[in-house]
Amino acid sequence: MTNVSKKAAPVLQALVLAVWSFIVLVPLLVVILNSFKTMEELRFSPLSLPGALRLSNYAEAFLEANMLRAFGNSAIITVISVLCIVLFASMAAYPLARSDAGWSKFIYLYFLSGIMVPFQLAMVPLYKLLNVLDLIGKHFGVIMIYASGALALAIFLNTGFLKTVPRDLEEAAMMDGAGKMRTFWLIVFPLVKPITSTVVITNSLFIWNDFFVPLLFLQSKSAQTIPLSIYAFRNENMTEWPLIFAAVVLASLPLIALFLALQKHFIQGLASGAVKG
Amino acid sequence: MNRGYGLSRLWVNSLFLLPALLVFTVFLIYPVANSFYYSFTDWNGIALAPKYIGLENYRELLGDSDVWNSLKNTFIIALLFTLGVNVIALALALCLQGSHWIQKGLRVWFLIPLMISPLAIGYVWSFFYSPIGGILNMLLESVGLSFMTQDWLGNPKLAIYSVIFSSIWQSMALSMIIYVAGLQAIPRDLYEAADIDGAGMLRRFTTVTFPLVAPAFTINMVVTMIFGLKKFDIIFIMTGGGPGGATENLAIHLYNQAFTYNRMGYGSAIAILMFLIIFVLSLFQVKILRNREVEY
Repeated sequence: MTNVSKKAAPVLQALVLAVWSFIVLVPLLVVILNSFKTMEELRFSPLSLPGALRLSNYAEAFLEANMLRAFGNSAIITVISVLCIVLFASMAAYPLARSDAGWSKFIYLYFLSGIMVPFQLAMVPLYKLLNVLDLIGKHFGVIMIYASGALALAIFLNTGFLKTVPRDLEEAAMMDGAGKMRTFWLIVFPLVKPITSTVVITNSLFIWNDFFVPLLFLQSKSAQTIPLSIYAFRNENMTEWPLIFAAVVLASLPLIALFLALQKHFIQGLASGAVKG
Repeated sequence: MNRGYGLSRLWVNSLFLLPALLVFTVFLIYPVANSFYYSFTDWNGIALAPKYIGLENYRELLGDSDVWNSLKNTFIIALLFTLGVNVIALALALCLQGSHWIQKGLRVWFLIPLMISPLAIGYVWSFFYSPIGGILNMLLESVGLSFMTQDWLGNPKLAIYSVIFSSIWQSMALSMIIYVAGLQAIPRDLYEAADIDGAGMLRRFTTVTFPLVAPAFTINMVVTMIFGLKKFDIIFIMTGGGPGGATENLAIHLYNQAFTYNRMGYGSAIAILMFLIIFVLSLFQVKILRNREVEY
């Protein structure tokens, strides 16, 4: 690099980083600061520190928005959906990656056709299907919707990755008398770990925070997920911003805490799927 | 090896494939196939036997000015979202590819908005943008730019850009992380070679960095475009498609037709239009972008 650009580059970089840090900071700070305020305080000085560390907004939001139940519902739906996606996709990818037969190619293409399908294309008939199966307002229906929507991409990533892995280990295990099931659990499933972590991370994020599917299929109060309970809470407290912000903070904390605890794996997991898939 | 061939092999293979095939077929392919069928009917969501009306929904679609308006908005949102995300993500990734603790810390910091539900983000930014007592106007006034204060979501000319920015703010970091990984994979000696040739900052970027970050660029462009075309949550919360349809995209229009007005048949036709757009544009993009990827 020339001398001028060598000197200018770090300054420019620092400036770019500082600007975006600030843009990320301001909305988050506004939410946190105002979640401790009264409505008058907020109206008067939304940018100042709260007069006192008032926790009453949090208590009210937690109780009125039924946060505890919503956390439970969100956790159940996210965990089971992601489990289904990971297991079903890695299992299906195994024969698809290891066989060149016509049926294998056909089934692979059949799954691939799902990648480009937007949820909206299935949404209207799903409403009828879930109605017929009596799954409206039930966790199982939503779990199946999330799983079916994510399988195509997960199978694509798993199959692509598995094709790049030599078969030696599997063949050795089979020689030793392990059946196909055992070989899968002992050898193949641990091998696809980089893809599994990407699939787990992206899907957990999406499902935990998704609002659209629960809006359509999980309206009953007892089955509500976190985004839906915040939506209902907001509709009851239209412009009570301090209350809404307290609910937003409460709802966001679990995932942010989890992310901070696992950030290294998280960032690696995101990147590995993108690079290897 | 005798085992694993013949009938038993078929049986074991289907055991591996069955769970995925079942869920995928029943809850995705079957409904999708039904959508095509419903798009030829006047189904209202309640009637047991929807009436077949042929191409009537599609004829209405072509003449529906709301559809054309939401189509236009869909493209504006997808285009600006894709460009905004990728420009900002790549610029930040260039600053963050090192392993200094500040760079590591900022990667984490920029990802925080991604952890928050788009619904919550929508509320936060609505407050931020509000014309009376909104933070953005207040900040502008405090630095002497009061002539720039606006009704950010109430002004039909501005609302769409306000929504797009909030959306970029939330999900930019996902692409950034993929760019960082792509940048870190570029062999160092290529930069050294460029330095020896006396390449300046701009030339380094155009001749080494940008061509070699192409796989990450392809993934990010395609993924953000698909996300952009399907945007729903954040628009639904911030404007509901308003004011006067100014931020209504196909996803919002479809939701309203199908679930507010119970026009499930017509909604299905809109869904098929949306699918075709996403399908054609993604194929097109992959084709173009793959061509400029280089091997090294």
